[in-house]
Amino acid sequence: MHIAEGFLPPAHAVAWGVASAPFVVHGARSLTREVREHPESTLLLGASGAFTFVLSALKLPSVTGSCSHPTGTGLGAILFRPPVMAVLGTITLLFQALLLAHGGLTTLGANVFSMAIVGPWAGYGVYRLLRRYGVPLMVAVFSGAFVADLSTYCVTSVQLALAFPDPAGGFLGALGKFGSIFAVTQIPLAVSEGLLTVLVMRMLVQSSRGELTRLGVLVASAAGRKRAESAGAVAR
Amino acid sequence: MLPIDAAAHSSRWRRRHPVDKAVLGFGLTVLAISLPPWPGAALVLVTALAVLLGPAGVPGRRLWRAYRVPLGFCVTGALTLLVQVGGPEGFVSPAEDGPLRAGELLLRTSAASLGVLLFAFTTPMSDLLPRLVRAGVPAPLVDVALVTYRMSFLLLDSVHRVRQAQAARLGHTTRAATWRSLGGLGATAFVRSFDRAARLQTGLAGRGYDGTLRVLVPEARVSVRFTLWSVALLAALAALTLVLERPLS
Repeated sequence: MHIAEGFLPPAHAVAWGVASAPFVVHGARSLTREVREHPESTLLLGASGAFTFVLSALKLPSVTGSCSHPTGTGLGAILFRPPVMAVLGTITLLFQALLLAHGGLTTLGANVFSMAIVGPWAGYGVYRLLRRYGVPLMVAVFSGAFVADLSTYCVTSVQLALAFPDPAGGFLGALGKFGSIFAVTQIPLAVSEGLLTVLVMRMLVQSSRGELTRLGVLVASAAGRKRAESAGAVAR
Repeated sequence: MLPIDAAAHSSRWRRRHPVDKAVLGFGLTVLAISLPPWPGAALVLVTALAVLLGPAGVPGRRLWRAYRVPLGFCVTGALTLLVQVGGPEGFVSPAEDGPLRAGELLLRTSAASLGVLLFAFTTPMSDLLPRLVRAGVPAPLVDVALVTYRMSFLLLDSVHRVRQAQAARLGHTTRAATWRSLGGLGATAFVRSFDRAARLQTGLAGRGYDGTLRVLVPEARVSVRFTLWSVALLAALAALTLVLERPLS
């Protein structure tokens, strides 16, 4: 759910931009440092950005028979970490605004806050917490993607309720109004995105174990570590 | 290539400097959200439409195909303003000034969207991104955005082909098969994006890649005349709004 161009009053647009800025700047600085130290990361990060962009363009079957698009923030945060997702998400949202007319430039700050900051951090937090307590990978992945998706929509509801308080119920009335509209469509969609993320991750575990280990999602197996150590010893 | 970007590459204003178009397009967007919706946003909407279809030469059909997307979001969002929650008339009842607020919101968002579309339909991303370095955006960040932009089209194309192949193998006939196919599609996109990055890395390393992606950017100068005309047009719109606001409200 992107907030459309011009939807927010100017003061709100600026305020959400200011709220997003520290996260994006922090992500941009760590990304710049990473690229300066390892120039080859540019291509990998660019590929990750393209993957995020394409993931958000996949059509997801909805319970009502229609289809929607996943936010991709949960999977992105699990694979690339939230600070990197703040930057990749901002780039993706900018491309979506200019290439697909989804979202907007005046609402970029608000959309970045919900989709590139809160969604990834909330999803990643839940994923890490569950993994720390020994919950199986796929359960943690589902929960992370579900929470990332749902928290994105909750923040969007808050943003809209703050901008358009209800004439009778005020902020809480508007929050209930926007929240209940989103709940009808977004809870099933969050479940759908969680399931899709599990399916993608299951296939990635089978086909791209190396990349997942490099990204820190999977821990290198003992045999793999031994192979790497012996290769290092031979090299030395 | 995506339709808006394809249209931008063949735009009449393609050779103009992005700053020229940014002043006009984003200026219209800023006016749309800052001026009173009536008559300010309405004037911006008419002006943006006239510039897009007239001097900028954007085909009407292409514009409509792109414009209906944000318009759909705007209409859905504006509908919520028609009702209120709580109050003496029941839990949910029609809001007294709901139609007025919804109408104003629709005017504002539709006018603001046209301003951004004016920029998007005349400026290819490949002209814009490399110039962001001069605007102070760190070069590594711009490089990542450039790779993302160029790789997105390849990946979208790959995903489209994989989807066609899945459909040909009856991968979308049942709900379970659709989900399985979707999972495969997402995983394939990931594997292909990393594979392309690795191959690009190898190719660039062979050409002495030092960490910076140098691309040719079409030569263009900021037109002082165009920019001044744009600023004059924006000022005239603001002035006209202030003059007409009282008699029309």
